[in-house]
Amino acid sequence: MRICSPEAQLQPSKVTAVARPKSLQGLRIGFLDNTKPPADRVMEHLDRRLRESFPGMQSHYVSKNAASMPATPAMLQSLQDNCDVVITGFGD
Amino acid sequence: MEKRGVPAVLLMTTPFTALARNQSRVFGLPNLQAAIMPHPLGGLPVPNVIAKIDAVYEELIAKLTSPLPAPLVEEVKVRSEWVDLDISDEWGALQQEFMARGWSDGMLAAPPTEARVSAMVQASGYPGSHVVAVMAPKMGVATIECIAANAVMAGAKPQHMPLIIAAVQGMVEEQFNLYGIQGTTHCVAPLMLVSGPLAETLGIHSGSGLFGPGPWSNGVVGRAIRLILLNIGGAKPVEMDKATMGHPGKYTYCIAENEAALPATWPSLRAERGFAPEVSTVTMIGAEAPHNINDHDSTNAGGLLTMIGHTITETGQNNVNHAGEPLVLLGPEHAGTIAKDGYSKDDVRRAFYEDARIPLSHFSAEQIERRLRRYLPKRFKDRPLDTGVPLAQRWEDFMIVVAGGTGKHSMYVPTFGGTRSVTRAVLKPDGSPWLPGDFK
Repeated sequence: MRICSPEAQLQPSKVTAVARPKSLQGLRIGFLDNTKPPADRVMEHLDRRLRESFPGMQSHYVSKNAASMPATPAMLQSLQDNCDVVITGFGD
Repeated sequence: MEKRGVPAVLLMTTPFTALARNQSRVFGLPNLQAAIMPHPLGGLPVPNVIAKIDAVYEELIAKLTSPLPAPLVEEVKVRSEWVDLDISDEWGALQQEFMARGWSDGMLAAPPTEARVSAMVQASGYPGSHVVAVMAPKMGVATIECIAANAVMAGAKPQHMPLIIAAVQGMVEEQFNLYGIQGTTHCVAPLMLVSGPLAETLGIHSGSGLFGPGPWSNGVVGRAIRLILLNIGGAKPVEMDKATMGHPGKYTYCIAENEAALPATWPSLRAERGFAPEVSTVTMIGAEAPHNINDHDSTNAGGLLTMIGHTITETGQNNVNHAGEPLVLLGPEHAGTIAKDGYSKDDVRRAFYEDARIPLSHFSAEQIERRLRRYLPKRFKDRPLDTGVPLAQRWEDFMIVVAGGTGKHSMYVPTFGGTRSVTRAVLKPDGSPWLPGDFK
């Protein structure tokens, strides 16, 4: 029997992850809160610990409008303009 | 962020690993860096959360500062696949094969043979290779032929192809948020609402018992949408579709608007959205399961709106904290009672927005502090506990649709919240509307 697969071909795309800095010392760190509780507490705790580990670190917070919605281009632009690396969360 | 040249690291718990890995591959970043913790973080006391974060703290820093591993090179399928199977038992061995390949919703599926798929493609008016959409979360390419294969498996008929194509077009519009709907832990399923003359022509039932069962086409057309979401979108349950429970409408969820039963002064949904009388539409709504509203006693609009308003004000729905469009399906008898007192559909919307509110005090202390006051500070920060929480951001966002048949019942359908419904005209490839006469 010859049948048509109901599974789709996948759209190819390609991006290369950018090179990592050697250290977080002196960098600006972004925190993108996905708004799933307790993401805000997680980010605030990490921020405190990172400041202890890397004195002089600057932090920049962005919160999504809702956990189920993508970050807006303006939010991503804000992170791009103000941060050297970004930490975010996924799921619950 | 990586596309924008900023190194990023993800924090997540184990059950979300497959979904995250898939997304990073789909968006071309197969060497995503992540620190993974045991599930869950949500719902834990803060000190327990902090302990889990501290356990991956050094790993997190390493993921941001160590050289990247080489990405895995994956082969991408680039065209439709026809499969030769040495199977003649369509209802036994072939069904097992469908399950083994992950193509099935667990129920008997018709074999998508060349003859059946070809008939579907032909009825669409498009060539089989025509690309209708790219569907999340796997970003599968929905060609007419691939849509047709799923429609065959669902038991749909060739004449249903125009409805199914319009539904797919609607679901990939940005405002629908298909990625969120496919991957979420929420139970949401796309509800397909057909309006206009094609509903009756194509057997989409709008009257008594429209959610089923019945010898009409609601079941097979809705099932075609689900198989497309599974096989083209790639939302395989547990792995990619993270629904905590889901709901029965995730098997099939298709109804029609009962325009014949609309009160004389009320417009249909498609008319409200600017479509001409001869144009049939498909509206896709990211929806929970319907919840019944029984009212045999109220004899006027005020009484009915009180009963409905108090039924729809439940705390655990996404509509309380997102910008969704709560859907109220009014049974024709309820709609008639409300309209005879001079209420327009907009009057009903305003009544629900103003009066159907949930006091802050009905929410848990954590929900108030950690969600409502924190994320919606303009509305709830420093407000007293008797402040009402509306079910929509604006009164216009309530969707009011007349559906169903005889009896004193209506339905409330909360939505996913992080989604907006999309209405698409059912059009031929040349842009003209499909009309009932085209199917004679």
